[in-house]
Amino acid sequence: MASVHATLVLASSLTVGLAAVADAATYRVDDSGSLPQGPTAELQWREPVPSRRGDDTLEGTLVVLMRLNVGPWLNRVGRLYLVLPEQAAPLVRLSWRAQGRFLPGQAVPGQRVLVYEGPVSTPWIEERLELGIEASGSRLEGMQPLTFHFEIDVD
Amino acid sequence: MKASSQTDSRILLGTIAVLLACASGAGAYTVNLTPKNPRTIYLQVGVGTFTGGNYQQGGSPATNPLVNLVSVTVPAAQVGNGTAQTMTTNSTASQSLYDSFAFCNLPNQLYVGGFYRSTNGSAGSATATLVANVPASLVSAGGRTIPFSQISWTSSGNGDAGGQPFPGGTFVAGGTQTIGTINRNEWAESCHTFSYSNAAVAPAGTYTGRVTYTLSAP
Repeated sequence: MASVHATLVLASSLTVGLAAVADAATYRVDDSGSLPQGPTAELQWREPVPSRRGDDTLEGTLVVLMRLNVGPWLNRVGRLYLVLPEQAAPLVRLSWRAQGRFLPGQAVPGQRVLVYEGPVSTPWIEERLELGIEASGSRLEGMQPLTFHFEIDVD
Repeated sequence: MKASSQTDSRILLGTIAVLLACASGAGAYTVNLTPKNPRTIYLQVGVGTFTGGNYQQGGSPATNPLVNLVSVTVPAAQVGNGTAQTMTTNSTASQSLYDSFAFCNLPNQLYVGGFYRSTNGSAGSATATLVANVPASLVSAGGRTIPFSQISWTSSGNGDAGGQPFPGGTFVAGGTQTIGTINRNEWAESCHTFSYSNAAVAPAGTYTGRVTYTLSAP
């Protein structure tokens, strides 16, 4: 009898688990395994001399080795997005180039941009992203953080 | 068959555990942004120098030690009659070094321009201020004087409408006065047309004096 009870509990867990995985929804992706190539992005004037109407764009690049844990959606079809929320830093634009799996693109704060669409065939997606950063020099207060994250939509 | 069921269940429980771990571990990726050597200031009164052409052509600002002259010769019959005398300059700077736009008209106008590069965090100053250090008088070889306050200027620029960054004024004899400001991350320029008020009779002679312009951003 005890053995039967345990089996029922496990079966119940199985049902709940399948329901959670099967729902088409948006999930935030764990990117805690990612590593920057350097601790900071050093920004320089895009134009060393400003124009008459004013030009305060700072720009810089930073390489990031992204490691996204997509194991929870293994063997499913999904669309992976880079999400750039509104920033405390005066970010104007973030662009990126990838080495294969991700689509290149760009975003302004508040945007969500597709970087991958297709089957999730491995538990981890690793990608080297070369970030291009543009910020407003007139509003940049020393060192300020830029944050972004990834979300996945699964069918 | 029962053994098989138990194995499947264990796998599923493992999956649930992974899902929970992901939910707690998902965070935003953070990059620190920092400005690097962003502060620059440039002033040109009269002739200036950009090496390699104007900025649009790839040139860069450089030092030019030349001091330009603004002068007028008052006809003897008009000395002290109160009719202002337009002054001319030996400056050859008629074009903006930003893009070679023909901004000033020679020889009546003296180019005054520059730029100010700064982030908000550099020093907190939103503008760079141009001041002139003015002697009390122009002095002749014989020690006669004419107050610098008898020299004024108007400000304009070809193609400009509205106010000038360095507006017209009159020299304050023996003082330091503000000529204008440059907003952060802007190129600003004006052309100054000087005139001598000719309001007092001065003995014949050549009267000279030097006004020094300084652009600063604290």
